[in-house]
Amino acid sequence: MHPLRHPRNAIIVGLMFSFIGVVYWFVQYRANFQTDIAGVTLLLLLGVAVSIMAYVLIAGSPND
Amino acid sequence: MASDSRAMTPQDHSPVAGLAHDERGGISNVVLGMLLFITSEVMFFAGLFAAYFNVRANAPQWPPINAETGEAFHLEILPLVGPATVLLILSSFTCQFAVWAIRRGDRTAFLRNIGVTFAIGVTFLIMQGIDYTLLYSEGITLSSGTFGTTYFTLTGFHGAHVFGGAIMLGVVLYRGLAGQFSSRHHDAVEAVSLYWHFVDVVWILLFSLLYLLPGKSPAGV
Repeated sequence: MHPLRHPRNAIIVGLMFSFIGVVYWFVQYRANFQTDIAGVTLLLLLGVAVSIMAYVLIAGSPND
Repeated sequence: MASDSRAMTPQDHSPVAGLAHDERGGISNVVLGMLLFITSEVMFFAGLFAAYFNVRANAPQWPPINAETGEAFHLEILPLVGPATVLLILSSFTCQFAVWAIRRGDRTAFLRNIGVTFAIGVTFLIMQGIDYTLLYSEGITLSSGTFGTTYFTLTGFHGAHVFGGAIMLGVVLYRGLAGQFSSRHHDAVEAVSLYWHFVDVVWILLFSLLYLLPGKSPAGV
């Protein structure tokens, strides 16, 4: 199996999406904006959802 | 009627990702469907959590003042939340023990563990019902402002998911007693265990938010 197709790599895909949520929060924090906490929450948890989706795509592919 | 040359044999069993016999790779339809369902459920609860955080951030103090009593809402009156949390976490372990047992073909251990998991799930629901009764007796209802609405919406939807999980566990237990699962044929057990772990993780998050996260005092106090 190609190393990139390991199911654990799905976590990395999810973390990339959650990272966008962290950046979204950090920009608001640094600019002294009122924090859009709902948006940050949704982006962070989107990372979890995308991680599961990536796992489905990676683990669901046959080896041959 | 011509015989089907492509009839399923035990070796053709659809694979469950991560199992030793899944040399062809891939994932079974049952587990695939459950994973996609859990993905949508993650975003469902994400919406509820986002609403809770938004309401909490915009409130001058949290928990807010109860208009009827003039005091801030408090949840210390709930004696069963801690034991219910411990039980639900324990049930994730027993559920996983059941999965491991059926993977190695130990049907006795599988039935024992899935039975315990089912019983704990029902116990959790009873405990939550008792907690709700206590809250209602204290005047905290679904219509008690933003606090009551968010609290009962979050815990109520989670309770509904536990109820659904308990039904699934009941079906798995019934099918297990009927001898329908083996070390090669147990996709439903794997799928239900994934769902049960998800429900458990959501409760840990909910418990941390509702009972452990410190409150917010009004500005200048």
